[in-house]
Amino acid sequence: MAKEPGIAIEKVALDEVTVEPCRGCNACEVLNKCVQRDDMDVLHDKIVEADCVIFASPVYCLGICAEGKALVDRAQVFRSRKYVLKLPVVPPERIGKRLGIFISSAGQNWDIVFDGAKMSIGCFFHVTEIKNKDILYLLVRGVDKAGEVETHPTARAEAQATGRKAVERLREMHR
Amino acid sequence: MNRMEPVTVLGISGSPHRHGNTETLLDAFLDGAKEAGGDVEKILLKGLGSAPCQGCNACHKTGACVLEDALLPLFDRILVADVIALASPIYTMGITAEMKGFVDRSQYLWAQKYILKTRYYTREHIRRHKGIFISTAGTGWENVFSSAFPIMTAFFDIMGFEYHDNIIAKDMDRWKGIRNHPTALSEAGEKGRRVVVEVARLKEGGEAPPGKGVQKEGKKGARRPGKKER
Repeated sequence: MAKEPGIAIEKVALDEVTVEPCRGCNACEVLNKCVQRDDMDVLHDKIVEADCVIFASPVYCLGICAEGKALVDRAQVFRSRKYVLKLPVVPPERIGKRLGIFISSAGQNWDIVFDGAKMSIGCFFHVTEIKNKDILYLLVRGVDKAGEVETHPTARAEAQATGRKAVERLREMHR
Repeated sequence: MNRMEPVTVLGISGSPHRHGNTETLLDAFLDGAKEAGGDVEKILLKGLGSAPCQGCNACHKTGACVLEDALLPLFDRILVADVIALASPIYTMGITAEMKGFVDRSQYLWAQKYILKTRYYTREHIRRHKGIFISTAGTGWENVFSSAFPIMTAFFDIMGFEYHDNIIAKDMDRWKGIRNHPTALSEAGEKGRRVVVEVARLKEGGEAPPGKGVQKEGKKGARRPGKKER
């Protein structure tokens, strides 16, 4: 995607920033913001401003990793804004013009290995005004060892195809 | 049965929120377990200062975790407990980040069991060790616990516990809290009593047949550190 004209990419590694877990205090249902001050302040704005949000997490023990879950849970502020306070999460003209991509890999080959992860990620995208039909998935099973995804027979081609599809969809949305 | 050795019950709370719905449900379970003679303790994951799994896979070779924090002694204690109750509310259709971080750190035991084959539980051992999942959820959606169940299945399997039961209550937003739920707390207490009685009975059944020794290293004389958090 990065090589496409008119596309600016930014990657944030959650292990290099601080996103504390949600405290479950429900204060955001009243305050419309989180009581915790950490790097989520910056990520919150980036998530709102982006046309495409790509969430990448491995599957550990049949769910997304703890760092990813912390970010997803901190999206509670969007949920409160949308469903409790009934305020816009993004300006109305941008609804339907946001794309989400969930990228994941799992060591096991089981059919169900991404099911739990997809439930949480689906919620994350819904509360950030990314519709179900606008979520792309890039999921690779059976890669357990370091670097194994590099030698996976189809992973690279699937990743490139997902990138192309994302650019195409974004161009359609913003035509 | 050695009457000096009660059924040990470890409750692990993965909620960041003190005395909320899930912890209250866990407390009801632990109270029931205590009434039935269990030696119960509650541990709060929040504040343990434990790091999430780094996915370094070092344990696949060594069977040990490179992170040395409060979770390793906790795993040691779980391995010698008779009953464990993992309690986490549902946040965004899954267990909390605290609980997920804890579960993921069991990877070194998974590696011992499935890669290095140095860890093995007899059928009898698994039958005598009961794992229980305790949870509450704000919404009443049918599938609200669906992503949590497979995680618990994997965790109890790694730890050598039978996945004995769920103590779950959804629709907390509508009930306005667990205390207003008509049956959840009394059921949790009843399940706490019942599981202790059942495990006591299984322990009374004597040791496993010869050649199928139950691995319970360090159980006798092990002093459990830490103050009770109740």
